[in-house]
Amino acid sequence: MSCNTSVTHLDVTSLGQVKQAQVHLMPCEIEYNGPARVSEYFTSTTKDRKQEKTVSFRGRGLKGQEISCPQGYTGLVLKEINKHGSDQEDRTVRVSSVFNKLTYWNLETPPTSDDTVVMAMDWPELADAVS
Amino acid sequence: MDLSPFEADNSVSCRLASQIPDVCRTEDCCLGVDEAGRGPVLGPMVYGICFCPVSQKEELKALKVADSKTLTEAERENLFQKLEEAKSYVGWALQILSPNVISTSMLQRTKYNLNALSHDTAIGLVQFALDSGVQVKEVYVDTVGPAEKYEEKLSQHFPGVQVTVRPKADSLFPIVSAASICAKVARDHAVEGWKFPEDLGEMDGAYGSGYPNDPKTKAWLLKYLDPVFGFPQFVRFSWSTAQTQLDSKAAPVHWDDDEEDGERAAQRHKNRSMLSYFSSSAEGGKSRQDHRFFSDRRLRSLSSL
Repeated sequence: MSCNTSVTHLDVTSLGQVKQAQVHLMPCEIEYNGPARVSEYFTSTTKDRKQEKTVSFRGRGLKGQEISCPQGYTGLVLKEINKHGSDQEDRTVRVSSVFNKLTYWNLETPPTSDDTVVMAMDWPELADAVS
Repeated sequence: MDLSPFEADNSVSCRLASQIPDVCRTEDCCLGVDEAGRGPVLGPMVYGICFCPVSQKEELKALKVADSKTLTEAERENLFQKLEEAKSYVGWALQILSPNVISTSMLQRTKYNLNALSHDTAIGLVQFALDSGVQVKEVYVDTVGPAEKYEEKLSQHFPGVQVTVRPKADSLFPIVSAASICAKVARDHAVEGWKFPEDLGEMDGAYGSGYPNDPKTKAWLLKYLDPVFGFPQFVRFSWSTAQTQLDSKAAPVHWDDDEEDGERAAQRHKNRSMLSYFSSSAEGGKSRQDHRFFSDRRLRSLSSL
Protein backbone atom coordinates (compact mmCIF):
# COMPACT_ATOMS: atom_id res chain seq x y z
CA MET A 1 0.00 0.00 0.00
CA SER A 2 1.15 3.46 -0.75
CA CYS A 3 0.45 6.48 1.38
CA ASN A 4 1.22 8.57 -1.68
CA THR A 5 -2.20 9.40 -3.07
CA SER A 6 -1.13 11.67 -5.91
CA VAL A 7 -1.92 10.63 -9.46
CA THR A 8 0.38 11.05 -12.43
CA HIS A 9 -1.34 12.10 -15.62
CA LEU A 10 0.20 11.36 -18.96
CA ASP A 11 -0.68 14.04 -21.46
CA VAL A 12 -0.46 12.54 -24.94
CA THR A 13 -2.11 15.37 -26.85
CA SER A 14 1.26 16.47 -28.19
CA LEU A 15 2.05 12.98 -29.50
CA GLY A 16 1.26 13.77 -33.12
CA GLN A 17 3.31 16.95 -33.23
CA VAL A 18 6.52 16.16 -31.43
CA LYS A 19 9.77 15.36 -33.17
CA GLN A 20 11.61 12.06 -33.35
CA ALA A 21 14.45 12.00 -30.85
CA GLN A 22 17.78 10.25 -31.18
CA VAL A 23 18.13 8.16 -28.06
CA HIS A 24 21.35 6.68 -26.69
CA LEU A 25 21.41 4.22 -23.82
CA MET A 26 24.77 4.62 -22.09
CA PRO A 27 26.60 1.99 -20.00
CA CYS A 28 27.36 4.50 -17.28
CA GLU A 29 25.66 6.90 -14.93
CA ILE A 30 26.16 10.57 -15.72
CA GLU A 31 25.28 12.85 -12.83
CA TYR A 32 23.78 15.45 -15.08
CA ASN A 33 20.36 16.53 -16.21
CA GLY A 34 20.00 18.95 -19.05
CA PRO A 35 20.94 19.62 -22.63
CA ALA A 36 24.07 17.90 -23.97
CA ARG A 37 26.04 18.52 -27.13
CA VAL A 38 25.41 15.01 -28.45
CA SER A 39 25.77 15.71 -32.15
CA GLU A 40 28.86 17.89 -31.68
CA TYR A 41 30.84 15.46 -29.53
CA PHE A 42 29.26 12.06 -29.84
CA THR A 43 27.45 11.47 -33.13
CA SER A 44 30.20 13.20 -35.10
CA THR A 45 32.84 10.84 -33.71
CA THR A 46 30.80 7.63 -33.96
CA LYS A 47 32.17 5.11 -36.43
CA ASP A 48 29.94 2.60 -38.19
CA ARG A 49 31.91 -0.59 -38.59
CA LYS A 50 30.42 -3.79 -39.95
CA GLN A 51 28.09 -5.16 -37.28
CA GLU A 52 28.81 -2.55 -34.64
CA LYS A 53 29.19 1.11 -33.98
CA THR A 54 32.17 2.38 -32.02
CA VAL A 55 32.74 5.61 -30.16
CA SER A 56 34.44 6.74 -26.99
CA PHE A 57 32.98 8.57 -24.05
CA ARG A 58 35.23 10.20 -21.46
CA GLY A 59 38.16 8.23 -22.86
CA ARG A 60 36.47 4.85 -22.60
CA GLY A 61 35.75 2.67 -25.61
CA LEU A 62 32.10 1.89 -26.34
CA LYS A 63 30.57 -0.53 -28.80
CA GLY A 64 26.92 -0.49 -29.65
CA GLN A 65 24.15 -1.01 -32.11
CA GLU A 66 20.85 0.44 -33.09
CA ILE A 67 17.72 -1.50 -32.16
CA SER A 68 14.08 -0.91 -32.95
CA CYS A 69 11.24 -0.60 -30.51
CA PRO A 70 9.03 -3.70 -30.52
CA GLN A 71 6.45 -3.89 -33.28
CA GLY A 72 3.50 -1.70 -32.52
CA TYR A 73 5.27 0.24 -29.76
CA THR A 74 6.57 3.78 -29.71
CA GLY A 75 9.19 5.10 -27.32
CA LEU A 76 8.22 8.24 -25.43
CA VAL A 77 10.43 10.88 -23.88
CA LEU A 78 8.41 12.44 -21.09
CA LYS A 79 8.82 15.77 -19.43
CA GLU A 80 7.10 16.89 -16.28
CA ILE A 81 5.25 20.16 -16.50
CA ASN A 82 4.75 22.42 -13.49
CA LYS A 83 7.08 20.44 -11.31
CA HIS A 84 6.24 21.10 -7.71
CA GLY A 85 7.49 20.08 -4.34
CA SER A 86 4.54 18.38 -2.73
CA ASP A 87 3.89 14.73 -3.41
CA GLN A 88 0.25 15.18 -2.49
CA GLU A 89 -0.63 17.04 -5.66
CA ASP A 90 -1.31 15.33 -8.95
CA ARG A 91 1.48 15.44 -11.48
CA THR A 92 1.33 15.81 -15.24
CA VAL A 93 3.92 14.61 -17.70
CA ARG A 94 3.87 15.52 -21.33
CA VAL A 95 5.37 13.75 -24.35
CA SER A 96 8.33 15.87 -25.44
CA SER A 97 9.57 13.59 -28.22
CA VAL A 98 9.15 10.07 -29.54
CA PHE A 99 11.47 7.39 -30.86
CA ASN A 100 11.07 4.14 -32.79
CA LYS A 101 14.68 3.06 -32.49
CA LEU A 102 17.51 3.66 -30.08
CA THR A 103 21.24 3.08 -29.90
CA TYR A 104 22.53 1.23 -26.88
CA TRP A 105 26.19 1.12 -25.91
CA ASN A 106 28.28 -1.47 -24.10
CA LEU A 107 31.53 -0.70 -22.35
CA GLU A 108 34.13 -2.33 -24.63
CA THR A 109 32.11 -5.48 -25.38
CA PRO A 110 30.61 -5.99 -28.84
CA PRO A 111 26.82 -5.91 -28.99
CA THR A 112 25.11 -9.31 -29.07
CA SER A 113 21.57 -10.65 -28.95
CA ASP A 114 22.20 -11.55 -25.27
CA ASP A 115 22.45 -7.90 -24.24
CA THR A 116 19.88 -6.97 -21.61
CA VAL A 117 18.11 -4.33 -23.62
CA VAL A 118 17.85 -6.57 -26.71
CA MET A 119 16.31 -9.33 -24.61
CA ALA A 120 13.98 -6.85 -22.92
CA MET A 121 12.34 -6.21 -26.27
CA ASP A 122 11.03 -9.82 -26.15
CA TRP A 123 8.56 -8.96 -23.44
CA PRO A 124 5.75 -7.30 -25.42
CA GLU A 125 5.43 -10.33 -27.70
CA LEU A 126 5.52 -12.72 -24.78
CA ALA A 127 3.01 -10.57 -22.88
CA ASP A 128 0.65 -10.78 -25.86
CA ALA A 129 0.99 -14.53 -25.91
CA VAL A 130 0.19 -15.00 -22.22
CA SER A 131 -2.52 -12.37 -21.88
CA MET B 1 55.60 13.25 -44.93
CA ASP B 2 52.16 12.16 -46.02
CA LEU B 3 49.90 11.46 -43.07
CA SER B 4 46.67 11.15 -45.03
CA PRO B 5 46.06 7.49 -44.05
CA PHE B 6 46.08 8.59 -40.41
CA GLU B 7 44.14 11.78 -41.05
CA ALA B 8 41.38 9.75 -42.71
CA ASP B 9 40.60 8.36 -39.25
CA ASN B 10 42.56 9.92 -36.42
CA SER B 11 40.74 7.92 -33.73
CA VAL B 12 42.70 4.73 -34.36
CA SER B 13 46.25 3.46 -34.66
CA CYS B 14 47.91 3.78 -38.04
CA ARG B 15 51.08 2.40 -39.63
CA LEU B 16 53.01 4.32 -42.25
CA ALA B 17 56.12 3.04 -43.96
CA SER B 18 58.64 3.93 -46.62
CA GLN B 19 59.53 1.59 -49.45
CA ILE B 20 61.81 -1.19 -48.26
CA PRO B 21 65.23 -0.62 -49.88
CA ASP B 22 66.27 -3.72 -51.86
CA VAL B 23 69.66 -3.77 -50.19
CA CYS B 24 67.96 -4.17 -46.79
CA ARG B 25 66.51 -7.52 -47.90
CA THR B 26 69.90 -8.92 -48.85
CA GLU B 27 72.35 -7.40 -46.37
CA ASP B 28 72.53 -7.55 -42.59
CA CYS B 29 70.81 -4.47 -41.20
CA CYS B 30 70.77 -2.38 -38.06
CA LEU B 31 67.47 -0.97 -36.85
CA GLY B 32 66.74 1.89 -34.44
CA VAL B 33 63.56 2.41 -32.39
CA ASP B 34 62.40 5.64 -30.77
CA GLU B 35 59.22 7.42 -29.83
CA ALA B 36 57.88 10.96 -29.91
CA GLY B 37 55.12 12.58 -27.90
CA ARG B 38 55.06 10.32 -24.86
CA GLY B 39 54.58 13.08 -22.28
CA PRO B 40 52.00 15.48 -23.75
CA VAL B 41 48.34 15.36 -22.73
CA LEU B 42 47.40 16.25 -26.32
CA GLY B 43 47.77 14.47 -29.62
CA PRO B 44 49.15 11.13 -30.73
CA MET B 45 52.24 9.26 -29.61
CA VAL B 46 54.38 8.13 -32.51
CA TYR B 47 56.72 5.16 -32.59
CA GLY B 48 59.36 5.07 -35.28
CA ILE B 49 61.87 2.61 -36.65
CA CYS B 50 64.64 3.31 -39.11
CA PHE B 51 66.91 0.72 -40.70
CA CYS B 52 69.89 0.46 -43.03
CA PRO B 53 72.61 -2.08 -43.86
CA VAL B 54 75.24 -2.44 -41.13
CA SER B 55 77.84 -1.77 -43.84
CA GLN B 56 76.34 1.67 -44.47
CA LYS B 57 76.25 2.95 -40.90
CA GLU B 58 78.99 5.46 -41.68
CA GLU B 59 77.07 6.88 -44.61
CA LEU B 60 74.07 7.38 -42.35
CA LYS B 61 76.31 9.07 -39.78
CA ALA B 62 77.56 11.41 -42.53
CA LEU B 63 73.99 12.69 -42.94
CA LYS B 64 74.54 14.18 -39.48
CA VAL B 65 71.34 12.88 -37.97
CA ALA B 66 71.17 13.80 -34.31
CA ASP B 67 68.78 13.39 -31.41
CA SER B 68 65.55 15.01 -32.58
CA LYS B 69 65.09 16.87 -29.29
CA THR B 70 68.28 18.89 -29.85
CA LEU B 71 67.03 20.05 -33.25
CA THR B 72 64.63 22.74 -34.34
CA GLU B 73 61.53 21.76 -36.28
CA ALA B 74 63.09 23.08 -39.49
CA GLU B 75 66.26 21.07 -38.92
CA ARG B 76 64.21 17.93 -38.33
CA GLU B 77 62.26 18.48 -41.55
CA ASN B 78 65.53 18.98 -43.37
CA LEU B 79 67.03 15.78 -41.97
CA PHE B 80 63.90 13.81 -42.74
CA GLN B 81 64.25 15.05 -46.32
CA LYS B 82 67.84 13.76 -46.34
CA LEU B 83 66.66 10.36 -45.11
CA GLU B 84 64.12 10.31 -47.93
CA GLU B 85 66.92 11.09 -50.40
CA ALA B 86 68.89 8.16 -48.94
CA LYS B 87 65.99 5.79 -49.61
CA SER B 88 68.21 3.48 -51.65
CA TYR B 89 69.60 2.19 -48.34
CA VAL B 90 67.51 3.75 -45.52
CA GLY B 91 63.97 2.66 -44.75
CA TRP B 92 61.54 3.68 -42.00
CA ALA B 93 58.18 2.77 -40.53
CA LEU B 94 55.92 4.51 -38.04
CA GLN B 95 53.07 3.58 -35.78
CA ILE B 96 50.87 6.51 -34.87
CA LEU B 97 48.89 5.86 -31.71
CA SER B 98 45.99 8.29 -31.64
CA PRO B 99 45.14 9.99 -28.34
CA ASN B 100 41.86 8.06 -28.46
CA VAL B 101 43.76 4.76 -28.60
CA ILE B 102 45.95 5.88 -25.69
CA SER B 103 42.92 6.92 -23.59
CA THR B 104 40.81 3.85 -24.29
CA SER B 105 43.77 1.49 -23.77
CA MET B 106 44.90 2.99 -20.49
CA LEU B 107 41.31 3.25 -19.22
CA GLN B 108 40.33 -0.23 -20.42
CA ARG B 109 38.54 -2.64 -18.05
CA THR B 110 41.73 -4.68 -17.93
CA LYS B 111 44.20 -1.82 -17.70
CA TYR B 112 46.76 -1.58 -20.47
CA ASN B 113 49.44 0.77 -19.27
CA LEU B 114 51.54 3.07 -21.38
CA ASN B 115 54.72 1.00 -20.95
CA ALA B 116 53.04 -2.19 -22.14
CA LEU B 117 51.46 -0.28 -25.02
CA SER B 118 54.87 1.21 -25.93
CA HIS B 119 56.66 -2.13 -25.77
CA ASP B 120 54.03 -3.88 -27.86
CA THR B 121 54.12 -1.10 -30.43
CA ALA B 122 57.93 -1.30 -30.69
CA ILE B 123 57.78 -5.09 -31.01
CA GLY B 124 55.10 -4.73 -33.69
CA LEU B 125 57.29 -2.41 -35.74
CA VAL B 126 60.39 -4.64 -35.53
CA GLN B 127 58.20 -7.58 -36.52
CA PHE B 128 56.88 -5.54 -39.43
CA ALA B 129 60.45 -4.95 -40.66
CA LEU B 130 61.23 -8.67 -40.34
CA ASP B 131 58.01 -9.63 -42.12
CA SER B 132 58.90 -7.20 -44.90
CA GLY B 133 62.12 -9.12 -45.46
CA VAL B 134 64.55 -6.71 -43.80
CA GLN B 135 67.59 -8.71 -42.60
CA VAL B 136 67.52 -7.27 -39.08
CA LYS B 137 70.59 -8.29 -37.09
CA GLU B 138 71.08 -5.40 -34.65
CA VAL B 139 68.32 -3.48 -32.87
CA TYR B 140 68.93 -0.30 -30.86
CA VAL B 141 66.17 1.04 -28.66
CA ASP B 142 65.75 4.23 -26.70
CA THR B 143 63.95 3.77 -23.43
CA VAL B 144 62.61 5.80 -20.52
CA GLY B 145 62.10 2.82 -18.21
CA PRO B 146 64.57 0.25 -16.87
CA ALA B 147 66.71 -0.85 -19.83
CA GLU B 148 67.79 -4.36 -18.73
CA LYS B 149 64.32 -5.86 -18.42
CA TYR B 150 63.20 -4.36 -21.70
CA GLU B 151 66.35 -5.58 -23.44
CA GLU B 152 65.69 -9.10 -22.13
CA LYS B 153 62.07 -8.99 -23.29
CA LEU B 154 63.06 -7.89 -26.80
CA SER B 155 65.93 -10.41 -27.04
CA GLN B 156 63.56 -13.22 -26.15
CA HIS B 157 61.09 -11.98 -28.69
CA PHE B 158 63.61 -11.75 -31.50
CA PRO B 159 66.08 -14.63 -31.19
CA GLY B 160 69.11 -14.19 -33.40
CA VAL B 161 68.90 -10.41 -33.19
CA GLN B 162 71.35 -8.49 -31.06
CA VAL B 163 69.27 -6.06 -29.00
CA THR B 164 70.69 -3.00 -27.26
CA VAL B 165 68.37 -0.93 -25.07
CA ARG B 166 69.83 2.28 -23.68
CA PRO B 167 68.51 5.44 -22.13
CA LYS B 168 69.32 8.32 -24.50
CA ALA B 169 70.04 5.87 -27.32
CA ASP B 170 68.82 8.60 -29.66
CA SER B 171 72.03 10.54 -29.02
CA LEU B 172 74.30 7.47 -29.04
CA PHE B 173 73.32 5.62 -32.20
CA PRO B 174 72.68 7.42 -35.52
CA ILE B 175 70.08 4.81 -36.55
CA VAL B 176 68.08 5.65 -33.39
CA SER B 177 68.51 9.38 -34.08
CA ALA B 178 67.10 8.74 -37.54
CA ALA B 179 64.14 6.88 -36.05
CA SER B 180 63.54 9.71 -33.58
CA ILE B 181 63.52 12.24 -36.42
CA CYS B 182 60.93 10.24 -38.37
CA ALA B 183 58.76 9.88 -35.26
CA LYS B 184 59.04 13.52 -34.23
CA VAL B 185 58.31 14.85 -37.71
CA ALA B 186 55.18 12.67 -37.85
CA ARG B 187 54.08 13.78 -34.38
CA ASP B 188 54.58 17.46 -35.29
CA HIS B 189 52.61 17.10 -38.51
CA ALA B 190 49.84 15.13 -36.82
CA VAL B 191 49.42 17.78 -34.12
CA GLU B 192 49.65 20.79 -36.45
CA GLY B 193 47.27 19.30 -38.97
CA TRP B 194 44.88 17.81 -36.42
CA LYS B 195 41.35 17.76 -37.80
CA PHE B 196 38.92 17.66 -34.92
CA PRO B 197 36.33 14.99 -35.69
CA GLU B 198 34.00 16.78 -33.29
CA ASP B 199 31.67 19.35 -34.74
CA LEU B 200 32.90 22.29 -32.68
CA GLY B 201 33.39 24.93 -35.36
CA GLU B 202 36.57 26.98 -35.51
CA MET B 203 39.02 25.65 -32.93
CA ASP B 204 41.52 27.70 -31.01
CA GLY B 205 44.95 26.41 -32.00
CA ALA B 206 46.76 27.99 -29.06
CA TYR B 207 47.24 24.81 -27.06
CA GLY B 208 50.93 25.40 -26.46
CA SER B 209 53.36 22.49 -26.28
CA GLY B 210 50.75 19.98 -25.17
CA TYR B 211 52.79 19.23 -22.06
CA PRO B 212 50.71 19.11 -18.88
CA ASN B 213 52.75 21.81 -17.13
CA ASP B 214 52.40 24.32 -19.96
CA PRO B 215 49.95 27.07 -18.82
CA LYS B 216 48.74 27.49 -22.41
CA THR B 217 47.89 23.80 -22.60
CA LYS B 218 46.03 23.96 -19.29
CA ALA B 219 44.08 27.03 -20.38
CA TRP B 220 43.17 25.38 -23.66
CA LEU B 221 41.91 22.29 -21.85
CA LEU B 222 39.71 24.41 -19.59
CA LYS B 223 38.35 26.32 -22.56
CA TYR B 224 37.21 23.14 -24.30
CA LEU B 225 35.99 21.28 -21.25
CA ASP B 226 32.42 20.15 -21.78
CA PRO B 227 30.39 19.27 -18.66
CA VAL B 228 29.04 16.07 -20.23
CA PHE B 229 31.55 14.84 -22.81
CA GLY B 230 34.71 16.13 -21.17
CA PHE B 231 37.14 16.89 -23.97
CA PRO B 232 37.59 16.41 -27.69
CA GLN B 233 39.36 13.17 -28.68
CA PHE B 234 42.56 15.17 -29.21
CA VAL B 235 42.99 14.98 -25.42
CA ARG B 236 44.38 11.97 -23.58
CA PHE B 237 41.69 11.39 -20.97
CA SER B 238 43.99 9.03 -19.08
CA TRP B 239 46.42 11.83 -18.18
CA SER B 240 46.07 13.10 -14.64
CA THR B 241 45.93 16.70 -15.90
CA ALA B 242 42.78 15.85 -17.84
CA GLN B 243 41.31 13.76 -15.03
CA THR B 244 41.87 16.52 -12.46
CA GLN B 245 40.05 19.06 -14.59
CA LEU B 246 37.18 16.63 -15.20
CA ASP B 247 36.91 15.82 -11.50
CA SER B 248 36.51 19.46 -10.59
CA LYS B 249 34.61 20.89 -13.55
CA ALA B 250 32.60 18.18 -15.32
CA ALA B 251 29.61 16.08 -14.32
CA PRO B 252 30.68 12.95 -12.41
CA VAL B 253 30.37 9.76 -14.44
CA HIS B 254 30.11 6.31 -12.88
CA TRP B 255 30.96 3.03 -14.60
CA ASP B 256 30.14 -0.44 -13.34
CA ASP B 257 33.86 -1.26 -13.09
CA ASP B 258 34.86 1.83 -11.11
CA GLU B 259 36.67 0.34 -8.17
CA GLU B 260 36.92 3.02 -5.55
CA ASP B 261 33.51 3.98 -6.75
CA GLY B 262 31.89 0.90 -5.21
CA GLU B 263 31.56 2.56 -1.84
CA ARG B 264 30.66 5.92 -3.23
CA ALA B 265 28.01 4.33 -5.43
CA ALA B 266 26.52 2.59 -2.43
CA GLN B 267 26.49 5.90 -0.63
CA ARG B 268 24.81 7.57 -3.55
CA HIS B 269 22.07 5.00 -3.60
CA LYS B 270 21.60 4.98 0.16
CA ASN B 271 21.45 8.72 0.15
CA ARG B 272 17.80 8.72 -0.88
CA SER B 273 15.23 11.33 -0.30
CA MET B 274 13.53 11.20 3.12
CA LEU B 275 10.24 10.95 1.25
CA SER B 276 11.17 7.56 -0.14
CA TYR B 277 10.72 6.07 3.34
CA PHE B 278 7.09 7.11 3.30
CA SER B 279 6.29 5.66 -0.07
CA SER B 280 5.11 2.19 -0.97
CA SER B 281 6.68 -0.62 0.96
CA ALA B 282 7.09 -2.66 -2.20
CA GLU B 283 9.66 -0.16 -3.38
CA GLY B 284 11.65 -0.05 -0.19
CA GLY B 285 11.40 -3.60 1.07
CA LYS B 286 10.87 -5.32 -2.24
CA SER B 287 8.63 -7.92 -0.67
CA ARG B 288 8.04 -9.83 -3.89
CA GLN B 289 10.90 -11.11 -5.98
CA ASP B 290 10.51 -10.68 -9.74
CA HIS B 291 10.88 -13.71 -11.94
CA ARG B 292 14.32 -14.13 -13.46
CA PHE B 293 12.87 -13.42 -16.88
CA PHE B 294 12.36 -9.85 -15.72
CA SER B 295 15.50 -9.36 -13.64
CA ASP B 296 17.68 -10.68 -16.49
CA ARG B 297 16.17 -8.01 -18.70
CA ARG B 298 16.16 -5.35 -16.02
CA LEU B 299 12.43 -5.01 -16.48
CA ARG B 300 10.38 -3.70 -13.58
CA SER B 301 6.77 -2.77 -13.35
CA LEU B 302 6.41 0.91 -12.85
CA SER B 303 4.25 2.18 -10.02
CA SER B 304 5.36 5.79 -10.06
CA LEU B 305 7.57 8.11 -12.03
